[in-house]
Amino acid sequence: MNQMSYVPQQPPPLPPLAAVFSGARGEFFRLVSRGAAIELITLGFYRFWLATDIRRHLWVNTSVDGDAAEYTGRGKELLIGFLFAMAILVPIYLAYFLVTVEAERYQGFASVPLVIAFYAFGQFAIYRARRYRLTRTVWRGIRFWMDGSGWAYSGRAMLWTLLAVLTLGLAWPWRAAALERYKMRHSHYGDLSGDFEGRGWEFFKRAWYLWVIAPFAMLLFPLLPFVYAQFKAVEWRWWLSGIRFGGVRLESTLPGNAFYGLYWKVIGWWILLSIASGAYFGAVAFLMHSLLGLGSDELPQAQALSNNIPMLVLLGLGYVAWILALNVVMRLYLVRDMWATVLQSVQVHGVEAMANVAAKGDLASALGEGFADGLDVAGF
Amino acid sequence: MDSTSPDSDPELSAARAAEGVPAEPAAPSGSPATYFDGLSNRRQTVTIGFANQLVMRSADNFVSWPYADIRRVDGPSGTLRVSCLSASPLARLEIRDAAAAAELIARCSHIDENRLTRGGIARIVAWSLAAAASIVAIVLVVLPFAAERLTPLVPPAMERHLGEAAVVQIQALFGDKLCSEAAGQAAFAKLVTALRRPAGLDDSIASQVLDTPIPNAFALPGGRFFLFRGLLDKSNDPDEVAGVLAHELGHLKHRDNLRQLIHNGGSSFLIGLLFGDVTGAGAAVFASRAMIDASYSREAEEAADSFAIEVMRKLGRPTRPMGELMFRITGKQDGKLSLWSSHPLTEDRLARMRAADRPASGPPLLSAEEWKAMKGICK
Repeated sequence: MNQMSYVPQQPPPLPPLAAVFSGARGEFFRLVSRGAAIELITLGFYRFWLATDIRRHLWVNTSVDGDAAEYTGRGKELLIGFLFAMAILVPIYLAYFLVTVEAERYQGFASVPLVIAFYAFGQFAIYRARRYRLTRTVWRGIRFWMDGSGWAYSGRAMLWTLLAVLTLGLAWPWRAAALERYKMRHSHYGDLSGDFEGRGWEFFKRAWYLWVIAPFAMLLFPLLPFVYAQFKAVEWRWWLSGIRFGGVRLESTLPGNAFYGLYWKVIGWWILLSIASGAYFGAVAFLMHSLLGLGSDELPQAQALSNNIPMLVLLGLGYVAWILALNVVMRLYLVRDMWATVLQSVQVHGVEAMANVAAKGDLASALGEGFADGLDVAGF
Repeated sequence: MDSTSPDSDPELSAARAAEGVPAEPAAPSGSPATYFDGLSNRRQTVTIGFANQLVMRSADNFVSWPYADIRRVDGPSGTLRVSCLSASPLARLEIRDAAAAAELIARCSHIDENRLTRGGIARIVAWSLAAAASIVAIVLVVLPFAAERLTPLVPPAMERHLGEAAVVQIQALFGDKLCSEAAGQAAFAKLVTALRRPAGLDDSIASQVLDTPIPNAFALPGGRFFLFRGLLDKSNDPDEVAGVLAHELGHLKHRDNLRQLIHNGGSSFLIGLLFGDVTGAGAAVFASRAMIDASYSREAEEAADSFAIEVMRKLGRPTRPMGELMFRITGKQDGKLSLWSSHPLTEDRLARMRAADRPASGPPLLSAEEWKAMKGICK
């Protein structure tokens, strides 16, 4: 495509465009704090709607060339996907259990490799969940979509993971490149087909020293957030810069230290919240002890206290508040702020290639998201 | 009515005529907006006008949307973005002009129909609470009942497979620690056989002593049980050990392993449905599961104690020594019963064994030499 633009009759390429994130932080804060509260009240069932609302907020405030994206997924779809996934996972869990018993009878701990089957299933879920999210992403009245096979992806992921394990993680960049190639070559925007041009070698060149530092950071643990944040920043930058849709090319200038602040803020909040809840738990225990302990004998109080219902309720409330605050902090920094930071670094080249794209592609079901939820594999 | 009209003029006027749109719409000075037809991503700058339908016109296009079909979709702040039910599903109109947006909202009666309202959230909360309540009810009521009823349906062969899987693991861990001194083994076998008959169990019961200092004993599904040397070391006479063995036989008789497996597997799956990705909720899930499983286990332990008392009485042997052995091992467990413990309080168990105690009426289970040999089974 690039050689094409040097043909004289062609107009000069348009200047690159920046991606813009315009979401108000206060709005997102209200969204996640209200959502976290409802999520707790509903014992977690609201997660489907909260995840949807978070994505809607992020998508609609993300614009390229002046036009904002739109997320058209709905919480109900995720709930139904989850229920279907459960209906499929329950028999699988039972079968897994029976096979485990037979394997153990044959040879002690022979069932350990069966865990690998769940890893494979998790990879399948990751692929299908991505497909659901992509088909709910609309920009300029055209949706993104995906084909390819979740199992083919899972097979590739398994082989590459094996290689990465055997090389103690050194093969990870090539794994990432191969898997992204598969995902992006099966991703489309209307009739524009995606591609991934990031090379494993480039990723390796930018990240190898982190691999060297990591064991030392384990010992000197305050270094760990720096190493992890740096790795994530390098990974994001490399990934974004490799994305292609037809003649459209993304480029990211994300600096390596982009996430230091975010991770340290989360750690700081986590420490602060833990101290606050620790003080609260201590105060409740002390209060109960002085209320109850006066007339009682010299027996150790721990046992009696652990059965004291009002105290357990008060501690439970403190625990709930701690969870609420923690979830808000995590989503604010690691989802919203990270999204905004990453987007700020993105430039879109070759916008003329996306001037007149025809609609194509169908919606995918939320079953993959359900599996991802049921198997606890990541995805926002 | 076709909402997306073609580009050519004759049909355009036909469409206008059909829709009763005046030749010059009422708002000719209509405000500019951006239109995407959902078929290509070409951005079309249109002028919108409010007739008896919403009309959008540009140099090469004319589109009209019935007000009743217009729905609000997510738009960036300061922009009203709408779709139309009777148009292409991804066709979008974006209006930045506040006055025009307000006018359109006023004309569209169903514009916010797809929005999640407070009532909608209340419905989600109500259904979630109902779902959570039913999960709790299933865990507390249905699951114990199901475990009770399902256990007899599992064929003993299947149960034995479960036990054998565990035995293979135990042999991998304690392989060289099986105690097999001949005289001790004979005495141990005699004791087990003596207990087996009144317990109503056949000779598929297999038992072994493991050479570890932990004072404990446990039964595996399918009729295997293990006694640890530590328990033998702490015991003073055969009746003490016999009581503990009878208790383990009670677990085998009631198929408690299988029942707990069904119960705990079910409860951890059901409780795992709750909370999902709430960071930090793992502790709550873990604690509630531990509490439920512990309470179920305490019931099974009490039943096994009852069974041990019954067996010892049939043999005409005292039940109190068993309680004393357990008391010697755990010591006094002060205070009230913890919600988390898998066994009843040893004090309570001892009190129960004492209350059920009868003076010995049957012959001793082992002779003094046999008892001595059994104590030395791991030598």
